[in-house]
Formats: sequence, C-alpha cells, structure tokens
Amino acid sequence: MRPSSTLLRYAISFAVCFLTAVLALPLRGWLDTANVAMLFLLAVLLVARYLGSGPAVLSAFVCVGLFDYFFVLPYLSLTVEDAQYFVTFAVMLVTALTTGALTANLRREIDTACAREQRSRALYGMARDLAGAVAVEQVVEITRRFLGEAIAADATLLLPDASEKLHPFPADGSLRAETHLAYMAIKNEKPVECTQISGSGYALSYFPLRAPTRTRGVLAIAPFQGDLEVIREQRDLIETAASLVAIGLERLHYVEAAQRAELSASAERLRSSLLSALSHDLRTPLTALRGTAETLALTLGDSPHELAEALRDQAAHLSHMVGNLLDMARFQAGKVVLRKEWQALDEVIGSSLKLLESALSGRKIDISLPPTLTLIEFDAILIERVFCNLIENSTKYTPPETTIEISAVLIQGMVEIQVRDHGQGFAAGRENEVFTLFGRGATESSVPGFGLGLAICRAIVEAHDGWITAGNHPQGGAVITFALPMGTPPEVTEETDENMVAAT
Amino acid sequence: MSEQRANVLVVEDEKQIRRFLKTALEGEGCRVFEAENCTQGLIEAGTRKPDLVILDLGLPDRDGIEFIRDLRNWTRVPILILSARSDECDKVAALDTGADDYLTKPFGMAELLARLRVLLRRNAPGEIEPEISFGTVRVDFSRRLVWRDGLNVRLTPLEYRLLAVLLANRGKVVTQRQLLREVWGPSFVESGHYLRIYIGRLRQKLEQDATRPRYLLTETGIGYRIEIPKGDV
Repeated sequence: MRPSSTLLRYAISFAVCFLTAVLALPLRGWLDTANVAMLFLLAVLLVARYLGSGPAVLSAFVCVGLFDYFFVLPYLSLTVEDAQYFVTFAVMLVTALTTGALTANLRREIDTACAREQRSRALYGMARDLAGAVAVEQVVEITRRFLGEAIAADATLLLPDASEKLHPFPADGSLRAETHLAYMAIKNEKPVECTQISGSGYALSYFPLRAPTRTRGVLAIAPFQGDLEVIREQRDLIETAASLVAIGLERLHYVEAAQRAELSASAERLRSSLLSALSHDLRTPLTALRGTAETLALTLGDSPHELAEALRDQAAHLSHMVGNLLDMARFQAGKVVLRKEWQALDEVIGSSLKLLESALSGRKIDISLPPTLTLIEFDAILIERVFCNLIENSTKYTPPETTIEISAVLIQGMVEIQVRDHGQGFAAGRENEVFTLFGRGATESSVPGFGLGLAICRAIVEAHDGWITAGNHPQGGAVITFALPMGTPPEVTEETDENMVAAT
Repeated sequence: MSEQRANVLVVEDEKQIRRFLKTALEGEGCRVFEAENCTQGLIEAGTRKPDLVILDLGLPDRDGIEFIRDLRNWTRVPILILSARSDECDKVAALDTGADDYLTKPFGMAELLARLRVLLRRNAPGEIEPEISFGTVRVDFSRRLVWRDGLNVRLTPLEYRLLAVLLANRGKVVTQRQLLREVWGPSFVESGHYLRIYIGRLRQKLEQDATRPRYLLTETGIGYRIEIPKGDV
C-alpha cells in the first residue's frame, strides 16, 4: 500500500483524481454539484492517507480544476457562469489542503512510531543476544548483524588487549579501521568521524564502547552504500547499540575473570593437596627409617651399633633436606601464609640455637642485641627457619673452633640483623648467587646440601617486606645481613610494684 | 615404667611407624595396642583402658581433633600427638582441644621417650610437691617463694603465676592461649605480646643466659615448656 518512488506517488494521485472524475461523470445529471464536490474531497483525503502530503496538495488543485471543468456550467470549460461557485472552489481547496495536511501528518507519525518500534525491537533482540553471548567473537557477530540489518552498515570492533593495544575483531573483516581515530574516540570519550576516507574500505565513524567501569573498545562503522549522512541520521541508535555492546563486553570480562579465579583456585587446591600428599609420603618412610635406626642403635652391640648410628644420621640428614625441599616447594607454590605476631628477637634466636643444639656441638656463639630493641612483628616459625638456615650454614662452612656472631642494629625503622662467621667467606663476585635456587657459594664442595637454605631465607625475609644480602667481612668471614621492618608494638599495661611476690 | 607395665595405644595409619613405635615402646617396657584409624582407635581406647594414647593427626577416616574431643568426653588419659612440621595450626588446635603434648615428624627416639615419661609420670596420682628445683632455682609453692643461687628472687604476681602454671605442667608444652587464659584471663588470649615480655623477664630473673635458656623453653608457634633435665634437680 506504500509506493516508494515519489514520482509514482504523484502519478497515482493524479490518476485517482481523474478516476473520480470519470466515475462521477455519468451521475452528473442526478447528483447535486455540492455532492460531486464531496466525492472529490473524499479522493483528496484518500490520497493524503495513502500517498502523503505532496500528492495530497497536487490532488487538491487537480480536483478543483476537474470539478470546474466537468461539473460546473458551462461544462468542458474552466469559465464559470455563476460567480458563487468561486466560493465552492475556495472552500473545496482549503478543505482539501487542510484534511490532506492533517491526514499526511497523522500518517507520518504512525510511520515514525512504527520505525521506532522496529528499532526498539531490534535493539531488544540485540540486547537479548548479547546477554547470551559467551565469547567476544559472538559479541562481534551480533553487533555486525544488528548494524547490517538496522542501518545497512558494516562494522568492526576494536578491542584492547592487556597492554591497551587495540586489535580489530573480526581480524579479517572487510571493513578496515584507522587505529589512531579509534584511540582518539577512546581518549575524547565521544564519537569521531572522518570524511576524507569515504569509500576507501575504511570505517568512517568511531564510537567508543563506554561501559560502567571503563571504555571497553571502539565500534568502527561505515555504511554499505553512501556516506556519513546515513550514520549521522542513526547516531542515537548506534550510540545505544554501542553502549549495549560495551555492557556485553564488560559482562564477558567479569565472567572470564571469575572463571580464571575459579580455575586458579582449583589449581591451587590441587597443588596444595599434592604438596601435602608428597610431604606425607616423603616423611612417613623417613620417620620409620630414623626410628628404626635409633631402635637398632639402642639395642645392638658395638660394631653393628656404629652402623646403626650412621644409618640414623643419614636418615636425619635426608629428612632435613626433604624438609627444605618441601618448604621451598610451598614457597614457590605461594602457599605460605604469614602468621605475624609481636615477637622478641632474642627469643627466636634462642629457640633456633636450641633446635641446632646437636649440630652446633658446643660451638661459641656471640649474640649482641641493642638494649632498646622492642618486640617486632613477624612469623616466628619462619624467622626461626631463617636463623636456623643461616647459623647452620655457618657451622657447615667454618672450622668448629671459630665463633659465629649474631648482632642487630636499628636503622631507619628497620632492624638489621647480621650473622657473621670466621670462615673463608663467599667466593668473590658470587655473593648474590647464593640466594638463587640451588646456588651455592662454592662451585664444588664436599659439604652436603642443595643450596636451598638461603633461597628459603630470601623468600621468607621478602615475604616480611624485608631484604637480605650476602657479603664478606673486611676482616674475613661471610656475613649475611637481613632487615625486617620495626613497626609500633602494642602497649603493655604494667603491674604495680607493690604486691611483689616474696618481697624482701 | 618398668615397675608397672604401662598400656600405650598407638593410633597411626602407617604400618612402618606403628612397627617402630611398638618396638621402641616395648623396649621401654610398655604394652602396646595398635589401631590404624580413629574409629578403631576409639574402640581400642574404650576396651583397653590405655595409660597413654599416641595419635597421628593425619588419619584417613576422621579429623584427629574430633577424636580428641570424643576421647575427652569420658577420659583424662594423656594424649601425645604426632604431626608434620608444617602444621603448627593443627598442633595448637589439638593441644587446645585437650591433647597433652606433641612430637613433630620425623622425631627422634630420645624425644619420644622423654615425652612418654613425662606424660606417664604426670598421670600418676597424688603427687603434689610443695617444692620444685631446677638448676640453681628453687620454688617453694607453700610459701610462694622463689630462690636462685640461694638468693630470694622478686617476682610480680603475674610472673609468679606464669611460672607456677608452667611448672604445674613441667616437661609438657603449654600453648600460648592456655597460658594467656590461665595467667591473664580469657580476654587476653589474643595478646601474645604480654607473654613474650613476661617470659623474657622470667628468663632474665631465672636463667643463666636469658638468650639461650636451659629450662624455660620456647616451642615456636605453639607455646612454652619448662624442661627439667634428668639429674638436674
């Protein structure tokens, strides 16, 4: 019912007027001329309803002309006998024009409403499709389909990677995009258009994809045919579509993030259950081995006794190394959670020395701590490991008659702790290699160990926001220095001195 | 232990460890019963009436903490737990639930037997000494007096109470929470820094070398223990 070509519509309106005249002609003798005028008005109304305002105006004039020519005496002449017919013509023309304009307006509004409804329906369809999309490729496909159908335009999405570099999606699309225009759209947070590259296969208009948290990319479009006008007319629609796409992309981003988190959590669970299984499986035979060897050592005679003791020592040594390996594995797996508490440094040094009692076998240890040392917040078990590893290293690499010195100084909110021995020190230039996994101070050594100890120390100290260095003392011997932040220890309410027990 | 055979129940899923524990404990003159999981362990504990339970915390069928709770519903039998080094939290939880002491795997025979003796002795009834000595220190509970090298030592009420709690559990680990609750009160269980400071002061007053204490020992991450070596009294 809606001829599209303008010329056709005028032709039809013309034809309608003549048809009315032809139909009314045989009734000329019977019908009053006023009623014939009514028939022409009806024709104009119909033209306005179906063909729009332009043809309605044309038909108004044509109808008045035809009415005069065929139905007003003298017939077949535009002259008029009775002057009062001019009033009829005028009323007829005004009525035709007015009703024509009104009807045409009404129609235009209906058309706009229809178009709007169609647009909303299309946007709704797109939003629904986007909500169901599970991959970026789907979002791209949905966007392209929508813009293709709704405004007959080709589209490319430009999406940033982790380093904010934009990549076109689809990568091999027919529409190419000027990346610098896209960056400009992101930077200005509003659409950018370019007229110079019209028809060259490049996108003409760049809409930033603004989502609630950040801009998620750029929508680059160009109409299949024609120029920027097509896009300008539909700018609202495109911007709405762009924001839908942005929200869709953002949703995908968070879905992916959640999936990644879930994945890494399950990998973490797997890793930690593997670690504890490994730990259990390694420790069980060692415990049994060590215990059995000791039982043998306690119950056997002299010569087998020595063998049993050797067995026990090797088992103890092996279990120590396995312990180090497992610790390092736990650190590397990121499984270590610090349990920080306010601790006394001298107490942790003391407990480390107690643990190493047999390894130290009476070796002289010098401890000098500043009297102003307050409590420090750290994970006592881990810092005890640091001291154990450092002191044990010193005992392994230095002659038994030499002293090991442990000292601390307070410098700029940090407590710097030194463990110094009087051995040969580290090989020059290799001081910092000792902290790497399996790194050892000397290339070949008869002293057993993997070189895990210092790597563990570094991991622990750095987890405490501290630092650790290795070096040689000017007067000889190796020095390891590590620092921990001091912090402000909590208040302690003191007792009053009066009710001392056993006051003398 | 030789005077009277002690019954020891070993609840441990690893056969090799059970075997060497059995050999070692029988060498000490104990009678050993074995269970390889918690369910069986609870049945054995009910029927054998052991004098000591050695419990591995990592049993397959149930949580060791639950086992301790169940056992503590009807008996005060000493419980010695075995656990891997990296599980300090589990150990503390087990000790706070009612276990008496722990050993870290892999442990030495000497440690095992020392713990065993302490736990079995402590179970012997009717033994409240009015006085305890270690090193050159003498504590007179009846008169609340403490002496070192023959000289009176001034202790604050809290210091004295801390020392008394540790001595009442001598040879046995007392967790940080237990000490804070018994000495300072329930609202102080999270205030570990008080313990650090008071233990430091006790060591200054009672130990020869406060940094390398002989008696007042730290069990890092767990609590404290007063150890009185044999023949040191």
